[in-house]
Amino acid sequence: MLAIVPSAVLHGVEGRPVRVEVHVSNGLPGFTVVGLPDTACRESRDRVRAALLSSSLPWPLRKVTVNLAPSGVRKQGAGLDLAIAIGLLAANGDLPADAVAGCAFLGELGLDGTVRPVTGTVPLVDALHAPTVVVATSAATEAALVGRHQVRAVGTLLEAVAALRGEQPWPDPPDPPPVVPPPPGPDLADVRGQRVARLALEVSAAGGHHLLLVGPPGAGKTMLAARLPGLLPDLDDPEALEATRIHSAAGETLPSAGLVRRPPFRAPHHGASAVSLVGGGTALLRPGEISLASNGVLFLDELGEFPPTVLDGLRQPLEEGVIRITRARGSARFPARFLLVAATNPCPCGQGGPPGACRCSDQARSRYARRLTGPLVDRFDLRVDVSRPDPGELLTGPSGEPTAEVAQRVLAARARARRRGVRCNAELPAPRLDELAPVTPGALRLLDMALRVGTLSGRGLHRVRRVARTLADLAGRDGPLAEEDIGLALQLRAEPEALGRAA
Amino acid sequence: MSDRTGADELSAEAWLVALASLPGMGPARLAAVLAGRSPREAWATVAGGADGVPEGVALRWRAVAADTDVARLWSAHESAGVRVLAPSDGDWPAGLAVDPEPPALLFARGDPGVLARPCVAVIGTRRCSHAGREVARQLGRELSEAGVCVVSGLALGIDGAAHAGALGGGAPPAAVVATGLDVVYPRRHAELWQAVGDRGVVLSEYPLGVWPERWRFPARNRIIAAVADVVVVVESHERGGSMHTVESALERDRIVMAVPGSVRSPASAGTNALLAAGSPPARDAADVLVALGLESGTRSRVAPPVPAGDAGRVLEAVGWEPCTLEQVADRLGVPLGPVAVHLLALEQERWVQQQAGWYERVR
Repeated sequence: MLAIVPSAVLHGVEGRPVRVEVHVSNGLPGFTVVGLPDTACRESRDRVRAALLSSSLPWPLRKVTVNLAPSGVRKQGAGLDLAIAIGLLAANGDLPADAVAGCAFLGELGLDGTVRPVTGTVPLVDALHAPTVVVATSAATEAALVGRHQVRAVGTLLEAVAALRGEQPWPDPPDPPPVVPPPPGPDLADVRGQRVARLALEVSAAGGHHLLLVGPPGAGKTMLAARLPGLLPDLDDPEALEATRIHSAAGETLPSAGLVRRPPFRAPHHGASAVSLVGGGTALLRPGEISLASNGVLFLDELGEFPPTVLDGLRQPLEEGVIRITRARGSARFPARFLLVAATNPCPCGQGGPPGACRCSDQARSRYARRLTGPLVDRFDLRVDVSRPDPGELLTGPSGEPTAEVAQRVLAARARARRRGVRCNAELPAPRLDELAPVTPGALRLLDMALRVGTLSGRGLHRVRRVARTLADLAGRDGPLAEEDIGLALQLRAEPEALGRAA
Repeated sequence: MSDRTGADELSAEAWLVALASLPGMGPARLAAVLAGRSPREAWATVAGGADGVPEGVALRWRAVAADTDVARLWSAHESAGVRVLAPSDGDWPAGLAVDPEPPALLFARGDPGVLARPCVAVIGTRRCSHAGREVARQLGRELSEAGVCVVSGLALGIDGAAHAGALGGGAPPAAVVATGLDVVYPRRHAELWQAVGDRGVVLSEYPLGVWPERWRFPARNRIIAAVADVVVVVESHERGGSMHTVESALERDRIVMAVPGSVRSPASAGTNALLAAGSPPARDAADVLVALGLESGTRSRVAPPVPAGDAGRVLEAVGWEPCTLEQVADRLGVPLGPVAVHLLALEQERWVQQQAGWYERVR
């Protein structure tokens, strides 16, 4: 007797459909799982047996073969338990075959017969074609996010069997948890002074320009960076679903409303390994921090303390917006389109800033600068030197413009960028800059001057024009870039050599 | 062994160089081994085991002396164009003739005779501000134009700027370094080092091949102080090499002048402390020339024409202390954009310099 039950396994952040084929025949009693199961998968034999017996369901004393098709793909995890148990019951004639038809099953079994949720419910359900999906009660909300399936939630194997036999109705789906609005993020109004740094945050959010904050400890670099996600607009539907899938696959808690609507903010510590940042792993290809930060902000505090090899791993995803992880057992492709914000001290002593204040030796400075220069620093469009705020301003100064107001301007600027056919100005293609970001004669003079003096490189030129375009968009100006757009963009630019220059 | 072919024709300097090249040999020990002996006799004594020094040192000297080919060592110095000066030499700097701690020998590349001119040491910190660097450069050039030999240490920062300025004037400059004359330190100043040697003189009390070591720099500073008639400190932190030079200069009754700086600039903390302690201020080359007793001439200070209009107001708001774009805009109470444009123009016209977001007015 043969039964076929659809299910799915996780591969990277994608679900892959798996057909669980169970064959029960006469012969020596035994239970074999074939089709490249990993250890957790192979052990499902013991969990399924215990769960059946605990639920007072019959365990066939016959020859049982379970094939996980396609058999060439490695299967990981315990998420196929429920499908195997149902398939076994159907193949043995304990469940009517037509009751199981059109149903897919996702869930891990406990020895007592409880059905447990699996990591990555969203991408797994997304991969299923069956009209009905049976999942654990606590995974029902997540499974419903995909929206294409009828989701049935069961707490135990017995509940599922009873419902399939038609003895009892399907248990009511759990009430969706009350939608708690996510606590508002930190507000820009808390930042006093720091006009230039605030402007840089706004430009970064509006134009998708990567931002480097340089300043002594206590200047407020981290405080500023934490306020960037608040400026970004909500994710649109495809972005939100993509983010939700990644977070679900990584086993992160999803917001109570279900979809990840707010741009994520990830701030890995500088002790992070290369794999934890870019993704990977031997058994399970897991998304890394850069994928979790996709459509949001990746904040690297103390950039100089990250090992250079780790930082080098960021270059390709920064360029392409995706990361391909390849291991001997397979490869996976993760989205990695994030806004990079980094903070660093200007030098090892941290006191650099006003000329002459630094106490570091020349060697120490150049060693430090060498860690930061190079191809990664080349990716930053904006660089801001954050200095410690004036104490008077901290205590009595007016509080800054609140996040909500700035976010309005960001939204409007992004709308202008979309009319040019890009998501944000950082993506303006260089060949079309003359058409999309023309400059006035006065602004051209400034650029010419900077190029002549050598403070601006050819590559920097394109960036300055993109940043200036964003500045003009924020000011609500169409048409050629004015002198002050270019002037400010030149002030905000990040030239990698600027870090290395000795005092 | 020391007595090899040609040993007889070697000059007294050759033997002195060999003695000075021994490990752990300083001015005091050299004076001790030379007491009542010719340099050649002294070498023979060392090669046979010197007395009056710790036993370990004597043993090491004996071992090193046995391995030293004096003739070859001497020809290395000769072919490197290095002159060796002994205190008895006619070109021995006058300032070192009556020094409490004179070097035993001086190695020179170039003409040590340039030190016969009035000498002004222009020194300061390596961690200087742009403004300080510009002041040093201008002092160097103007003093040199007035015929003064500008002495400094070829270090990064103020020293190098003073030398670079002096090369633009008329008079030859002089440098005192803390390494052998074949070891260029800091590397970045290799060109400057070469130029100073070509136009003036580079001096060292160490033989060829001596590497920079921390303790050699204060020792070098005493020579700078000794050969100079006036020591001008352009910028110095509260402690540091420049303050060592100042101490050495005061011990030797040299005039120490200081360039006034902002009370908020850490790079001027040392110089301002000197002013508070009574050092005469050096506002420009004329002040230094007056202190030297040279007629300063009647060069009236012609203030360069200040930019007019908005640019002038921005320049005024920059002031004379390092500041950021934000501070300038706050002082003027205007948006960032126009200020950014004016600052770029001012930078282009060399009114201000910018580094890592900080602007400094330089003239």
